[in-house]
Amino acid sequence: MRERITFIQKQGDSIEPTTLKIKGGVLNGPEIQAAREDRLTIAIDELPKGLQALLGTAHELHIRYVSSEPYEAITPLLARLPPGFHLFYTPAGQADATSPALCLALNQIFGNVQCENPEKSFTTLPRDRFSHSAAYQFYQPSVDLSPFIALAKEKLCSSSKDQSCAARADRLTNASSLDISYDAISHAVKLTATWPYQKQEVHATSRPQTRTEVGVLNSDRPGHLEPHELGISGLLTVLGQDKKPSATMFAFASRHRDAESSFSAEFLEPTGLHPTLKLRLESSKPPIEDAYCSPHAYFTLPKTIFADRHQLSDDLFLASKNLTGLRYISQPVDLEAPEYVEKRWGSSLLLELSPPEHEESKSWTAQVPLHLRYLSPAEGGYTDIQVPYPAVFWACAAEEGTKFPNNPFEKANLGYDGLFGPRTVFWHVEPRPTIGSRLSNMMKVPVLDTNKAEWVSGGTGLAVLLGFAWIMWKLFGVLSKSGYQNQPSQAAEVVKAKKNQ
Amino acid sequence: MATTSPAAPKPKPKSSSLLSTLFSRPLPLYVSAFLLRLVLLLYGLWQDANSPLKYTDIDYLVFTDAARFVSRGESPYARETYRYTPILAWLLLPTTWTAGAQWGPLAAKVINVAWFSFGKVLFAAADLVAGWLIEQVLVMGKDFPSSPAQGKENDTERKEGGRKDPSETTTGMDPSRARAFAAIWLLNPMVATISTRGSSEGLLGVLVMALLWAVLSRRITLAGLLLGFSVHFKIYPFIYAPAIVWWMDQERLSGFRAGGGQKTSSSFRKKLTRFLTLPRLLLAFTSLATFLSLNFLMYRLYGHPFLQETYLHHVTRIDHRHNFSPYNTQLYLSSASVSPSHSAAEPKFKIESLAFLPQLVLSTILIPLTLAKKDLPTSLLAQTFAFVTFNKVCTSQYFLWYLVLLPLYLPRSSFWTSKRRGLVALGLWVLGQGLWLQQAYELEFLGRSTFLPGLWMASLGFFVVNCWILGVIVGDGGR
Repeated sequence: MRERITFIQKQGDSIEPTTLKIKGGVLNGPEIQAAREDRLTIAIDELPKGLQALLGTAHELHIRYVSSEPYEAITPLLARLPPGFHLFYTPAGQADATSPALCLALNQIFGNVQCENPEKSFTTLPRDRFSHSAAYQFYQPSVDLSPFIALAKEKLCSSSKDQSCAARADRLTNASSLDISYDAISHAVKLTATWPYQKQEVHATSRPQTRTEVGVLNSDRPGHLEPHELGISGLLTVLGQDKKPSATMFAFASRHRDAESSFSAEFLEPTGLHPTLKLRLESSKPPIEDAYCSPHAYFTLPKTIFADRHQLSDDLFLASKNLTGLRYISQPVDLEAPEYVEKRWGSSLLLELSPPEHEESKSWTAQVPLHLRYLSPAEGGYTDIQVPYPAVFWACAAEEGTKFPNNPFEKANLGYDGLFGPRTVFWHVEPRPTIGSRLSNMMKVPVLDTNKAEWVSGGTGLAVLLGFAWIMWKLFGVLSKSGYQNQPSQAAEVVKAKKNQ
Repeated sequence: MATTSPAAPKPKPKSSSLLSTLFSRPLPLYVSAFLLRLVLLLYGLWQDANSPLKYTDIDYLVFTDAARFVSRGESPYARETYRYTPILAWLLLPTTWTAGAQWGPLAAKVINVAWFSFGKVLFAAADLVAGWLIEQVLVMGKDFPSSPAQGKENDTERKEGGRKDPSETTTGMDPSRARAFAAIWLLNPMVATISTRGSSEGLLGVLVMALLWAVLSRRITLAGLLLGFSVHFKIYPFIYAPAIVWWMDQERLSGFRAGGGQKTSSSFRKKLTRFLTLPRLLLAFTSLATFLSLNFLMYRLYGHPFLQETYLHHVTRIDHRHNFSPYNTQLYLSSASVSPSHSAAEPKFKIESLAFLPQLVLSTILIPLTLAKKDLPTSLLAQTFAFVTFNKVCTSQYFLWYLVLLPLYLPRSSFWTSKRRGLVALGLWVLGQGLWLQQAYELEFLGRSTFLPGLWMASLGFFVVNCWILGVIVGDGGR
């Protein structure tokens, strides 16, 4: 087991090495304004048997939970996803895609994960374009972390008396993101949690059988930095091994950057059954001058709401919404099914936005037309749904020949990264809600009011019966008057004539 | 029209001279019907090119997408929600054609738009042909006289069996009057809008009218082909088969007369042999052969998706979305309550599982049995009306299915002889839809939960209006 704890400050906020006190596997430091990332790397054979078996069914498994609390991203922890519970999965074999094992385990580890098996509940990702994508995607807007926290306490804390370990696990509740990443090649699970930029004490304790490395870093801009690179400097300490922190400075290429602007998303009123999500972007200027850049929004829409790719194919219509085009939508998206029969989690889509062409930067909006599915009837006639914010970024092409090798903070398999070429750099726009304080919009969806439904069955039956009876009555009138033969008047005359004969 | 003269039901003689010129000769009517569609088509092109709100129907994009798949050698069912026969996609193959390289950019654009509009032109042309057939059927009269010579002595056992006296047969309508009634279809803005927006219902109109025309003019093989083809195309015309078969008795089709078996005995076997006339067998054979061979061919070409999308979809669909059908609210309610929690334990009885009963009993048995021999066009209208009114799903496009038959019935209907009754019926029909649409607007665009009681009551109200109208049609057909 290896552990890496990193405190990251902004540029120019470095601390003095002497303020870090190292004593017998414990590091103490001052209170600083920083983001924090904890990463635990666990070899597969250190895991409980059940989890080992589960991971055996996966070639690749990435779980990414993102809090719906807005947070400020700090270099180099810049990659963003829509808030919620994301999962990317490549099964080890064909049979694993139809097995309920993964879904059952997910439901035990995280409460209330709505999935049956990958084949039914997940969407497939395009694997022909850039091969680093996982095979399946799953998402839901919220998940209960408490079973996971309980499991972490049970398996990671040496004893139930270890209060500080339990407290650390509890802090996961406030994490801005939690990643659990496994692939068959590295044979290890990486647990990564990050906490937002805030005031916190620098403190770390080593744990038995664990190599713990603590970094107190800040972003930096060394002189030799290439345009596609980020610079980091700071202090590194290996607990129980180093007597004092060692200074470090390094630079690495990063596919995720900070566009240093923000956006908000809200629905136009009234929402109806075909709501329009309005994205307001603070800036219309690309983050860098001398590269081809274009703004994109990546959505993970739960199955209650969807986009119609056919509607998003007309240029005139797209232009009227400040959209350039639909670049990707997961397939298939049923355009008719109600939510309660849909097994798939929902759909992901990538929209290219069309900023106004102005010299100076100004705020602008793009409208995303969406459609609601019918939801189950409910008391009161309305059901609230949550629609998560998209991830918004400028995708810019890096120079020919630029390579992006893995860096220590890199995240891959985010759903959208596989939809772009390997030289694309994502300049993330920070989500900053103007209404409410969450990165998701609540919407009232009209449904059939079950309180008023008691007469529907009987009333419908009665109306149909009455209508049917009325027509039967008229048919009977015709039949009794003139039978079913033709020319009733003449027929009657014929009969009369015969009687007279 | 608005004045209600209690005594005189005849159309007013002093109709404006403009109207009489319009109908006195064929050209003015058909030219104006053509111009109406041309103007709408061009307006639609303008709106599509200049407004994000499209004139073109979404279904047209489905058809043309499917045609594009076909043009690439793929299945039309590669397009989601394409739920039609592949023939429709084949017919629209020209919409995928584009201008060659020899044209300039502007000319190429015009050519491409023109080709893309091919389907709308086709549907609009089908409208015109359907209108012309309406005129032909009206001029033909509601029936043809049976040949006078035969069957005279054989009538004795038939208590109510009518034989037509040639002097008394219903004669056809005066062509200018026929055109005036055909104008209800030809100059109807709703019909012209629907086809120029690219909805394929106009094709059904021409098929059904051609079927009726073929039957009335005793072209049995052609009728069989048309019947089989239209059922393959849109299923619902199968309701016309019993009416046509019932109508095709020996008196009407004496030319086809089979040999023996027509005499007095009323044993079941004799009755059956007399029922199974050559023309009836011919119709059954040609229509079934057409239907089955088309389906076989399509199945061979496109496999299961063809069966699934064109036919099986109608069995499995839930129809939970709001529409005019009286069953709609009930269907939404019950489709959502099939949760695993209470499935096997209590097999709840659902009225909608019997919904097909009144619909099919009326449209395929009772109405044709009662009316077909008396007045075939009215029977077909009443059957279609019953089918649409009692259907589990009903949208405004379905109204075209009976609208095409309306001009054939209207001249003899009590809605025409009593203008007041006609206007009341029209008013209620429009009002019923209006109330429903108002509730649907509140739901769809304002997000108000109007499912109950608003939409439900509105759909039941519209249903009641339709039932009343249907009852009157049935009464008229029996006169």
